[in-house]
Amino acid sequence: MLDATEQFINGLMFGCLYALIGGGFTILFGVMRRFNMAYGSTIMAGAYVALVPVYLFRAPAWLMVLTGIAAAVLVGLLVEFCCFRFIKKGHELAPLMTTIGMLIVINEAIVHATDAVGLKYPSPFGDVALELGQFLVRRDYLAVLVAGVVCFTLIFLLLYRTRFGRAMRAVAERPEAAQILGVSVRRVNVLTFVLTSALAGVIGFFAAVSVGSARPDMAFFVTGKGLVVMVLGGLGSLPGAIVGGLVLGVLEFEATWFLGATYRDILAFVILFLVLVFRPQGLVGTRTT
Amino acid sequence: MKRLTGFKVIALVAVALLLGPVAAPAFQGEGTLRIGGMWALSGGAAFFGKAALGLATLAADEINEAGGVTVAGKRVKITMHPQDDACNAEQGLAAVRRLATVDKVLFSLGPTCSSVAEPVFGTLQKKLGDSGDTGLQLLFFTDTATKFGLAKLSPWVFRNTPDEPAMYDFIVKYLKETKPELKTVMVSYESDFAHSAATWKGALEPALKKYGHHEIKEVVDWRWLDTEMGAQITKLRRANADVYFALAHTTSMCPSLKEMKSQRVRPKMIIGITSLAGTEVLINCPDLAEGVISPTNFAPINPKAKQIADKSWEKYKADSNIHSVPAYENVHLIKGLIEKAQLKNTEESLLEDRRKVRDLLAKVGTFQGVIGKITLHPEDHPVKPRDVDKDMLLVQVKNAKWSVFWAPPHLKGN
Repeated sequence: MLDATEQFINGLMFGCLYALIGGGFTILFGVMRRFNMAYGSTIMAGAYVALVPVYLFRAPAWLMVLTGIAAAVLVGLLVEFCCFRFIKKGHELAPLMTTIGMLIVINEAIVHATDAVGLKYPSPFGDVALELGQFLVRRDYLAVLVAGVVCFTLIFLLLYRTRFGRAMRAVAERPEAAQILGVSVRRVNVLTFVLTSALAGVIGFFAAVSVGSARPDMAFFVTGKGLVVMVLGGLGSLPGAIVGGLVLGVLEFEATWFLGATYRDILAFVILFLVLVFRPQGLVGTRTT
Repeated sequence: MKRLTGFKVIALVAVALLLGPVAAPAFQGEGTLRIGGMWALSGGAAFFGKAALGLATLAADEINEAGGVTVAGKRVKITMHPQDDACNAEQGLAAVRRLATVDKVLFSLGPTCSSVAEPVFGTLQKKLGDSGDTGLQLLFFTDTATKFGLAKLSPWVFRNTPDEPAMYDFIVKYLKETKPELKTVMVSYESDFAHSAATWKGALEPALKKYGHHEIKEVVDWRWLDTEMGAQITKLRRANADVYFALAHTTSMCPSLKEMKSQRVRPKMIIGITSLAGTEVLINCPDLAEGVISPTNFAPINPKAKQIADKSWEKYKADSNIHSVPAYENVHLIKGLIEKAQLKNTEESLLEDRRKVRDLLAKVGTFQGVIGKITLHPEDHPVKPRDVDKDMLLVQVKNAKWSVFWAPPHLKGN
């Protein structure tokens, strides 16, 4: 029971990372009503580029995060320019394919640049777990939890307390009406990419720190998790992404503990299937973005 | 009319592209001999594929710099035709057809992954000389795909790969004899990676049962590309065994070692999978891997081995390891066979030439490898036909470098 509780705590903390990934996918989908399959490669690019100052002059963690955010924003804008900007209205499936192409291109570029070898990722949080009573709690997971709370607080403040947030929500709900009222849909779309790409920079850092290395398969990993979280929580629902991420995290840890790794993914997808059948709007299923 | 013209242009380009490789001059006439290879040159296993390609290219370069291969009284140069299978079975099936029918290579090295080798070898001819068997007649001399028994799939497959059942048999026996106080073991393996799962079920588990000295306290599994192993490592922490067999490749090994450090799991000895003994783990997590022991068939223990390791890194950034060095050995061995085989080296004689080299390879017996003698078993060997026996060593990560932990006495003096 003690171990199962420890898995629950770790799953909840690691689930924050899933929630952040799902959150990025959700904001993009909520505003643009299109899937950005290259979001995973934006996260990965941020994680890799964040290593550059470390290799050059042993940069501190905050500089790594900032570098990662800057790189992810640049990659995000590139994705927006190449995969979305010139796609005409009414061709919603086209960006799905263009972004899958971009995902593969960026992924293979990193594979060839690094010979598919993962690069050691320094952790500012230490390697040894904290002892909280009878439980061992990983410091980097605790940092993910804190980062998740901070990021989602900032995102909600931005969405509900700023003019830009109002514009984003207006575009998400009724793009034509928003345009008539003077909101530049293109500008909102680009700024949404900037916002989610900055988030991707943060996710990339914490995802790589929790593994201990930046790896070329990272993009596919986060893409898979992000899509599951988004569907589990409810397409376009930010609270849904948070709930979906936490549920998936706990589910994976407990399933691995009780059933083993082989059944972990089976269980996760069975639950996803059941949610889609019995609650197709997702666990939360309200649109807020 | 304009559309028709455009269509014609596209059609002509398509025809030219299709015919291009066939129409190109090659073989004896242009003074070349084509050899192929299919490896994971992209994707998650690209580190191993690129290393094998680098070592094979190094061997071809050495042969060409020395004048080439003598075929029908003429010195011809070796040209490499590598294909990327990305450790993906479908891509592997396309690559083998291309090597056999478009690139028209004499023989192929690779593949990297056993999960690709199985379906690829399944497309080869099952019975020599059977006109009813339309399987591909392409000779493979595999360097990497390690799963036990793969050479049995076709008489066209030969392998210079590790014999893992023998390696882990030796390790268990060695531990029993030299460290009898280490009595409990725990194991982890990658359930979705053929090599890792086969090492546990086909090599280590039978060895542990055979010697009966060690109690298996815990066995956990995860996926090859998993990054989170908190639950599994908690189980290992509870097991608290003396020896930990981590039958995982670098991709999952490093995060699992990180988790072990986090949970303060400190077995007295950690023994890894054969594929670990390369540079990849030293780049990825050198501090975490400190002290890990791995069985291997290659370490730079003699001047020749050191020279190859340095040269391959300098010229191709290719890691000399247990899987890549056999590619170098295989090219050099086949060069000698080609000179004996009286090949014609023409497009028309290709199938006949492949068969001649295959038949000679089947009779090689013992040949000189980079660190010692290698015995290639004949076709009628009861256990592992067309597979090799070779010297093994145990290497250990010390100060972020692999150093020899144990070597057979006859290699120590080299």
